[in-house]
Amino acid sequence: MLEFDKLDKAIHEKGRLAIMTLLATRVSWSFHDLKSELGMSDGNLITHLRTLHKAGFVATTKEVRDRPQTTYSLTKKGRGAFTEYLAVLERIIRAGKR
Amino acid sequence: MSDRASAEENLRVIRQLMERVTVYRAVAAPSALVAGILSLLAAGIVYYNNEMHPYLGRTVRPREFAVLWLIVLVIAGLANAYFLRREAEREGRPFVSSGMKLALGAIAPNLLIPAAFTVWFFQTGYLGAQELQLVTVWVAFYGLGLLASSLFAPRSLALLGWAFLLTALATPVLGDLIDRLTDDVPDTIMGLTFGLYHLIYAVAIWSRPDSTRAAQAATE
Repeated sequence: MLEFDKLDKAIHEKGRLAIMTLLATRVSWSFHDLKSELGMSDGNLITHLRTLHKAGFVATTKEVRDRPQTTYSLTKKGRGAFTEYLAVLERIIRAGKR
Repeated sequence: MSDRASAEENLRVIRQLMERVTVYRAVAAPSALVAGILSLLAAGIVYYNNEMHPYLGRTVRPREFAVLWLIVLVIAGLANAYFLRREAEREGRPFVSSGMKLALGAIAPNLLIPAAFTVWFFQTGYLGAQELQLVTVWVAFYGLGLLASSLFAPRSLALLGWAFLLTALATPVLGDLIDRLTDDVPDTIMGLTFGLYHLIYAVAIWSRPDSTRAAQAATE
């Protein structure tokens, strides 16, 4: 149980974990692509992104090309937190096998 | 759920999500089957006509040859779009997904030279009966297009790309040998690559489990 307490609460939620996972796969994601890939509502996605942004894990970039577009990417802190989250999960699994 | 089971479940969700957004199959199995059957039919009809002259009373002319294969391309392309859309709907994903955008971005530049070469063929290339050159360019760049998507495509699609590319490379080198095996080299190469290779690919991937479907379920 102790290891589970070490999991970052900002990431350890199904929706936010999915967002962090997608952000870890590419340099940046548009709001539209994140929404269609995860099948979340606008409100739900914005709430989760805001939580991750407050934690310092996600950076937001607003661009205006043909139309305004917001893209999201992992910050250095966010990438580190995600890596640590994975490491804790692995430790839990290894401990369970012993 | 125990801590270990819960951790395993989370890792499974992460892995499947990553697979879902980093693996995109631009050619669906049913599309490959349709393309393979159509290509074998087209190649067979041209070969039969050129040998026996039952349809036209003469051999197929260069521009007719190119038109026939462009028709096959359009039908196979439409079939691929239909099957990809159906697959996306079944899995609750958008048809124009980020994976499709990535695939199109990688494949499209490889289609510019064959497109330009085809225009040249219709304008003046047909006068020199240069079907073999046209076919070599089509096969080579289709293979390169598939290989360009190999960073995020399943291994089977990259293998298909290599098969096309190596066949195109072998065509000028083994020209005399191929010529001894068949009376109609361009038609045989089209039947072999777009026909037979697509059929083998379709059979090879038909019954494989689809990780994207599992990934969708994992995030719901």
